[in-house]
Amino acid sequence: MTPSVLPAGASVSFVTVAVWTGLVALALTLLLALQIVLLRMALRRRERRAARAVARWRPLLNLAIVGEHPALPSLSPRERMPFLHLWAHLQGSLRGEASEALNEVARRLGVDALAREMLARGARDQRLLAALVLGHLQDRAAWPQLLPLARAADSALSLTALWALVRVDPDAAAEYLTPLFVEREDWALSHVAGILQQASTPVARVLARILPQLGEERLPRALRIAESLRVMLPAGVLADALRSPSSAVVIAALRGVLTPDTLQEVRALLVHEDWQVRVQAARALGRVGERSDAARLTALLGDREWWVRYRAAQALRELPLLSRADLEAVRASLTDRFALDMLDQVLAEEQA
Amino acid sequence: MTDPNWGQLLADFITWFVFCYFIALNGGYLALNAIALRALRLKGQEMFMADLPRAYSGLEPPVSILVPAYNEEATIAASIRSMLQLSYAEFEIIVVNDGSRDGTLEVLQREFALLPFPEAYRRRIPTAEVRGIYRSTRYPNVRVIDKFNGGKADSLNAAINISRYPLVCGVDADSILQRDSLAKVTEPFLRDPSVVAAGGTVRVANGCTVSGGFLTSVGLPKNIWALFQVVEYLRAFLFGRLGWSSMNGMLIISGAFGVFRKDTVVEVGGYRRDTIGEDMELVVRMHRLLREKRKPYRIEFVPDPVCWTEAPEDYRTLKNQRIRWQRGLAESLNANWGLVFSRRGGVPGWVAFPFMLLFEWLGPLVEIGGYAFMIWAFLTGMISWEAFGAFLFVAIGLGILLSASGLLLEEMSFHIYPRGKQLLMLGLVVILENFGYRQLNAVWRLTGLYRWAMQKESSWGAMRRKGTWQSGAGK
Repeated sequence: MTPSVLPAGASVSFVTVAVWTGLVALALTLLLALQIVLLRMALRRRERRAARAVARWRPLLNLAIVGEHPALPSLSPRERMPFLHLWAHLQGSLRGEASEALNEVARRLGVDALAREMLARGARDQRLLAALVLGHLQDRAAWPQLLPLARAADSALSLTALWALVRVDPDAAAEYLTPLFVEREDWALSHVAGILQQASTPVARVLARILPQLGEERLPRALRIAESLRVMLPAGVLADALRSPSSAVVIAALRGVLTPDTLQEVRALLVHEDWQVRVQAARALGRVGERSDAARLTALLGDREWWVRYRAAQALRELPLLSRADLEAVRASLTDRFALDMLDQVLAEEQA
Repeated sequence: MTDPNWGQLLADFITWFVFCYFIALNGGYLALNAIALRALRLKGQEMFMADLPRAYSGLEPPVSILVPAYNEEATIAASIRSMLQLSYAEFEIIVVNDGSRDGTLEVLQREFALLPFPEAYRRRIPTAEVRGIYRSTRYPNVRVIDKFNGGKADSLNAAINISRYPLVCGVDADSILQRDSLAKVTEPFLRDPSVVAAGGTVRVANGCTVSGGFLTSVGLPKNIWALFQVVEYLRAFLFGRLGWSSMNGMLIISGAFGVFRKDTVVEVGGYRRDTIGEDMELVVRMHRLLREKRKPYRIEFVPDPVCWTEAPEDYRTLKNQRIRWQRGLAESLNANWGLVFSRRGGVPGWVAFPFMLLFEWLGPLVEIGGYAFMIWAFLTGMISWEAFGAFLFVAIGLGILLSASGLLLEEMSFHIYPRGKQLLMLGLVVILENFGYRQLNAVWRLTGLYRWAMQKESSWGAMRRKGTWQSGAGK
């Protein structure tokens, strides 16, 4: 072998550093390997425990669901988590008497107290599960614990606590939390809407009260919540929003137009300078417009924006008392090529 | 006093440079791993919630699924059928026949009972000429664009032009999705209105069983090339992208499955047609332009496995794929120099872009150059055998550590591979891939860099697919 000509000191220092780095990498790799093995063993143990718990409890829960009152063994500490997962999973697909029967089983086993304990002192995953369980149980005693959790910065935890609060007392939850729904933009609107479905009446009442006091930055979200819950807002509140100088507010308000009470405001918005407002105005007119609005919508078929033309054509199709023959007559009167193409497309969509 | 030995000093300098580069490269990825670890831990705590029965509120943003197809007559009908079974509140599928030379259009016409549709076509993004637009009479949410050949990016742009919905999801025609893929990847859009793009984890489908277009059981491939790629995908997605996503610095969303806010895609000009890596280029451009315009935005990564893809199982196809990927990376970075160290660059401009440049773009050059130099220096006696051995010990040791950390993340989160034997096999591959495969990969990537520098033309990547893992797909 050719002898090294590298100065001895330099060579040794590189070799030393490199060997030590390699040894550290090797040691870390071995630690990771050990960790992987330990994780897999823990997973296996958890799976076995869960399988045993499911095998023991599922038949009993099934009996309870079909209206029987099985004798219940005690819930051992090792079974708690798999039992709660199974119970919550079943509850997710049940309603009415079957759901109440599962709640009865849970109360007999002391699950309500256990869940409150988990909510107070558990790790994050346990608190999530506990909030879910307490919501299904409609556990009033958990209200003071759930309320601060609903204001937590952690979106998943706060939304689950919210859901539980609405289950426990829809009226009180709407009163306390509706302003929070409007403020918390990190809460997905679809999640909020899903949670509020069973509290839509009290939420509508609170929304109608707070809407006039909301600033322009909060109004669009509040109006979207109202829309998602199909809440009929008082015509005066909606008309005020439709006259707002903010396009975002007007757009959100137009989406919530479900009755002809604000027809005049909607018609005025068909010529708004913001094309997104015109789009929503056309859609709203399709929902609440009259036969006489056909001329207004026909004019919009020549709009410079594709979406305005598209929604105007759809709205024309949806107008009451406007027959296919009327639409054909509108088509025959069109001279604008873009308007004609759009009406053709929408008529073809109807046939498809 | 003797003159300094300049040759020896240079050799010393290069030795230390290569050594430090390897440390920095692997250290950077290990730091990403640490960041990903926290995100995965939080995700793991919420995982049980995903198993609960789900109800749609009707406020989920509807999605247009864009499926570019070029010579896909054998698989296109099965792919579309499986996409039709996705569980999501509202979506449409737009298939683009990009001037296929086989019977792709005829298959679509027959299988989906297509009729010409008088679409008022809106050319928001310029594309090759559209020959016709069809609508399925069996599935009202399926439309087909027939156009002259213009490439994958051009097809995606054409599909965006006729899409109806605010979110668009680019999907490769051969991607295998999970029923809840769309629901999972659109989750960030629901949570945060400033999200403009989201991608999910892509996994290797080789060795798995696919039935009716969906994955029915997960397995490991027997083919060694595919096995290496299983570990590579773990590394790339679980800590590569998740780590960057946590800092809003993710520069890639896989073209196999990614969801974008349509308005933003149109605003930045759509997919670029003159690049191979149109998926990465679009994301880097979004970062650059949105930052220039000071628009608040987020680009997020969902660690859940949402898409499975067939990995190449032969040397030539794999080599060509990697060459294309490296060219795509080089093109994407080269087209967006304005982002790097720009005043408003933030994490993408000051950290992610330079990282990509240094370790992904330049990486193969330094890696291969480093190995070549060390071998040459050892053979010519410039460095001792101890120094050479120590260098290999570090390079390979750090490589194994990195792959092992990817495996740890997988085990901490999704443990997709349930059997002990599978875990053992993956452990073995983690070690094996560092003895030749990674170096070979670096050579391919270097070739990709060279071809990019020579500016060879881009086209649809021809991929030899075996589909041996499929059973009943398309039936």
